[in-house]
Amino acid sequence: MKIFRNACPRNCYASCSMLSYVNNGKLVKVAGDDQHGYTKGNLCAKGYAFTQYVTHPNRLKYPIMQSPRSSGNWKRISWEQAYTIIADKIIELNERYGSNLASGYNKFSGNIGLLHYAAEAMFNSIGPHTKPKGNLCLTTGDEALKERFKQFEQSSPEDMAAADLIVIWGANPAVTNVPQMKYIFQARRAGAKVAVIDPVFTETAAKADLYIQIKPGTDGLLALYAAKRIADSSFFDENYAQDCTNNFIQFKRIMEKVPSADKVSELTNAPISAIEELAELYIHAASSVTWIGFGMQRTNIGGENVQAISALAAMTGFLQKKKGKLFYAHDDLEQFPLHLLKFPEQKHSKAQASRAIDINSFAKNALELSDPPLKFLWIASRNPFSQDNNLQSWMKLIQQLELIVTVDLYMTKTAEISDIVLPAATHFEEMDLIVSYWHHWISINEQSLAGYFESKSDLQITRELTNKLNERSPGFSTFPSELEALDWIQKELSPEIQELYGIQDYTDLLSGPHLKKPEKIPAKEKFSFNILDVSGYLENIKVQKDSLLFPYQLITPQSLLTIHSQYEHLSWLIGTDENSEDTIAEISAIAAEENKLMPEDSIEIFNENGWVDAKVKVNPYLAKNIVLVKQAGKKPINWIIVHQESDQCQETSTHFYDSKVNIRKKKVSRNG
Amino acid sequence: MVKQLGFVFDIDLCIGCKTCEVACRNENQTVGTVRWRKVTRQVDGSFLSLSCNHCSSPECFRVCPENAFTKRMDGIVEIHAERCSGCGLCMEACPYQAPQFDPITHKVTKCQMCNDRIDQGLQAACVEACPTEALTVKDLYTFCQVNGMGTTLGFPDTRLTNPSIVFLPEKERKRYFQMR
Repeated sequence: MKIFRNACPRNCYASCSMLSYVNNGKLVKVAGDDQHGYTKGNLCAKGYAFTQYVTHPNRLKYPIMQSPRSSGNWKRISWEQAYTIIADKIIELNERYGSNLASGYNKFSGNIGLLHYAAEAMFNSIGPHTKPKGNLCLTTGDEALKERFKQFEQSSPEDMAAADLIVIWGANPAVTNVPQMKYIFQARRAGAKVAVIDPVFTETAAKADLYIQIKPGTDGLLALYAAKRIADSSFFDENYAQDCTNNFIQFKRIMEKVPSADKVSELTNAPISAIEELAELYIHAASSVTWIGFGMQRTNIGGENVQAISALAAMTGFLQKKKGKLFYAHDDLEQFPLHLLKFPEQKHSKAQASRAIDINSFAKNALELSDPPLKFLWIASRNPFSQDNNLQSWMKLIQQLELIVTVDLYMTKTAEISDIVLPAATHFEEMDLIVSYWHHWISINEQSLAGYFESKSDLQITRELTNKLNERSPGFSTFPSELEALDWIQKELSPEIQELYGIQDYTDLLSGPHLKKPEKIPAKEKFSFNILDVSGYLENIKVQKDSLLFPYQLITPQSLLTIHSQYEHLSWLIGTDENSEDTIAEISAIAAEENKLMPEDSIEIFNENGWVDAKVKVNPYLAKNIVLVKQAGKKPINWIIVHQESDQCQETSTHFYDSKVNIRKKKVSRNG
Repeated sequence: MVKQLGFVFDIDLCIGCKTCEVACRNENQTVGTVRWRKVTRQVDGSFLSLSCNHCSSPECFRVCPENAFTKRMDGIVEIHAERCSGCGLCMEACPYQAPQFDPITHKVTKCQMCNDRIDQGLQAACVEACPTEALTVKDLYTFCQVNGMGTTLGFPDTRLTNPSIVFLPEKERKRYFQMR
């Protein structure tokens, strides 16, 4: 039996290091890695299910091609054939249009390993092309926090254990960040109070000492009210705060516009006693944690809410010599060289640069491209036909595409509409480096298994496809295909990174993950508040009126046992009691009564974008104007979600939670 | 018996993440629908994580015509595959659905509290994997906690078999739901 050190590459807070036990080339079990200072030897259910994931009968084994598209008439082809078809198409498009702008990719976070940027490198190596820009997931919150408080940056999530107040605004770690619960409970055992603010009574909310169910999109108001109460309290040293900031007076003026408790209560739908209790907790806590979840920033008003809560966090932290900490996500990754992501774009005589289109509206924007139109699309680490918004535009886009290639491990919704599907490696079958956006550990991922049938890593595919391109048209790609995975890992572990993580080279990581050294905080750097336009914000809250046509806000959180659409095939996970084949729509008891619906009834969730069939589940804790549906499944709920581009020109995340819907009982067809 | 090892399940700490359930499958590689440990949500929203309870008076042990069950000195109830005929009487007798039919070997299998691991001084896989320490194994002859309970909501009748499990109750919490 051999034991290897791996790291889970999922887009998840925890980025767990794990051990794989391999006997005669077969993965017999996985275990947590107790050298990992954050996960401390635990994995989540999905992590323990990797032994089933790796050799599941539904896993793709060979390159396959279907004709016609979407027919399901798949036939196995060789890698050589696949590379030839793809290379010839790229080269033919280049000859037709005079550049590679008609070729593009769509890729996101299906695997966050650094070597998975090989796909980006492949496209850069052939010169200007069409590519997505932006981040679907975090940008709205990131932008709102741009005035990053230096004092907050060093926080390790392990430190939550020492807090005496933890306030979680719209995050559900019991489902999406399981290892964090250990630290939250440690704090609680030591006497800390845990508060959860969330429109949905989540598994985390159920474990909180104080839960406040809030009207979606009004979190910031609750935060501003608490900030105002802190500033007015006798504990607050205003002179000290003024020394720390450039614009405390302006901020105080803003707080004067924060309405009274009864008005805040009316707007947030939270009782006055709840609002006051939260403020009191913040006033009296010596060391508080304020955690801003990703869910709340998936709306047009999300940025303002994040700004307001971060201002509260500042008021509870260094502005009054307290140890208040703010958590959202960090960008340790950006300190790495990222040689593959930033692989230099091959110069082109005519086309100046690649066409970068906003990933939040990728298909819609791609349809608008002409001269040349987008004709070839490469999809990797992504399942847009389940997880993107505006799938109607995607359906139109595929009409104009001459070749769609998807790299994936399973037959996803996106693979189903592709011409060629290439089988991807699991992280056990490739080498990689994993950097978290939550904790500060890096982990190496060793290759512990040979490739599963003919599966290949993104890097290997890039190496071989660029070779094929150069074979058909010498000089087409500048990618150095001779470099192996280990070479790229060593390039990422630059002298600066070695210094930052206290390592000499990659072999140090083989004995365990390494923690980033705390960086020195610049002394006495003054902090500037992000000045929120409170009047405008209050207006925005008020205009969120009920729509008669579509009276329900659609909220689509993660399921416990999948990440987006990943793991959907695993019976260890999906075969458990709470999962069903049907899409489940959770509605309130009031909504059920108003629509004369009973549990298990078949309904349609619909809006101007279409409808999705679902079965009713009455959730006694749900607010009356929310419909809650988990992501992915057979007919993904994203079919009726369309991101509304904001009128401000700043970059945003996809605002999945701005969707309004209605529900109706499904009519039984007379034709049977 | 010198000991009675049993699970202590703290309802207050369980977040329903099912890590214990899947860690069991990873460790024991149970096939098909065989789930030695199951996490279920109760009507009040709390969770239960249950497996074989290694009862003081195991019905499986009593009804098995092949004498395939034994109880170790530390209280773990084991099943010996070589003696099992797959008749399924134990499956009918057990109030907790602990013995389950393996469709490949046509024999009954069940949780043996990771006896091999326990013998090596390790924890049962479910216990080791639990991120919140909601699930632990204790010697119930000596374990004493004032709020410990022999049964809880959603747990079947205990009178027949005297299961070796202790539940710790959920604590009161303050919850403010939307006013309208």
